[in-house]
Amino acid sequence: MNIYDFTVKTNKGIEKSLADYKGEVLLIVNTASKCGFTPQYKELQELYMKYKDQGFTVLGFPSNQFAGQEPGTNEEVAQFCQYNYGVTFPLFEKGDVRGENAQPLFQYLTEQKKFKGFDSAHPIASRLLGALQEKSPKFLDGDSIKWNFTKFLVARDGTVSGRYEPTTSPLQMAGDIEKLL
Amino acid sequence: MVKVYSISNCPWCDKVKKYLKAKQIDFTEYNIEEDEAARDMCYKISGDLTVPVTTIDGKAFVVSFDKAKLDELLGL
Repeated sequence: MNIYDFTVKTNKGIEKSLADYKGEVLLIVNTASKCGFTPQYKELQELYMKYKDQGFTVLGFPSNQFAGQEPGTNEEVAQFCQYNYGVTFPLFEKGDVRGENAQPLFQYLTEQKKFKGFDSAHPIASRLLGALQEKSPKFLDGDSIKWNFTKFLVARDGTVSGRYEPTTSPLQMAGDIEKLL
Repeated sequence: MVKVYSISNCPWCDKVKKYLKAKQIDFTEYNIEEDEAARDMCYKISGDLTVPVTTIDGKAFVVSFDKAKLDELLGL
């Protein structure tokens, strides 16, 4: 079983085999509804624009599974929403990324790369952890996707080379992406 | 005329609109999910598709619900 065995559906409902991306460096991410407290679309789009000519793409999988667990907003948190489709990288059909109905692709990714905790240096890390402990403690069990914008890097040969939690901003991944290009 | 660029189900957009209403400021709302021309305009103004964006002249603008900046923009 490898990453190219998976077939997913585009946001237009068309089946797409990940084998079509063979030889490219992939950043696979579960994107969030537009008002998530850490919208990372902008940086994902920046990475995509910067590296796409070198055989890199971002694959976004919208999921709204975490909406109900959003940490309380306060002044430090950006008070805006992002228009979902302000990005030009491929977006796929909305679906679950954790739990019984999780898309097989995400089951595979989380098996390949385990959860190693949030980056506590990130300003939202403690609040995110607190919100999960309070509202969805089960989400913290095991290696499942914990939150929106969990990112996986896939090398040109299909190896899942890294997992980056929501507490890693996309631009922080630039160095790792360049190593794979 | 004050313009507010928004999307649906956007709590921060709602707050800006409520705030403007409370201050009795007339404004026109543009939902960039539904209105492609407004989406392009919003992008032109702020260089992003983040909302709410509040502007009068399309040059000076405020992203998000930021009371201090809104007051400054609107001369309150």
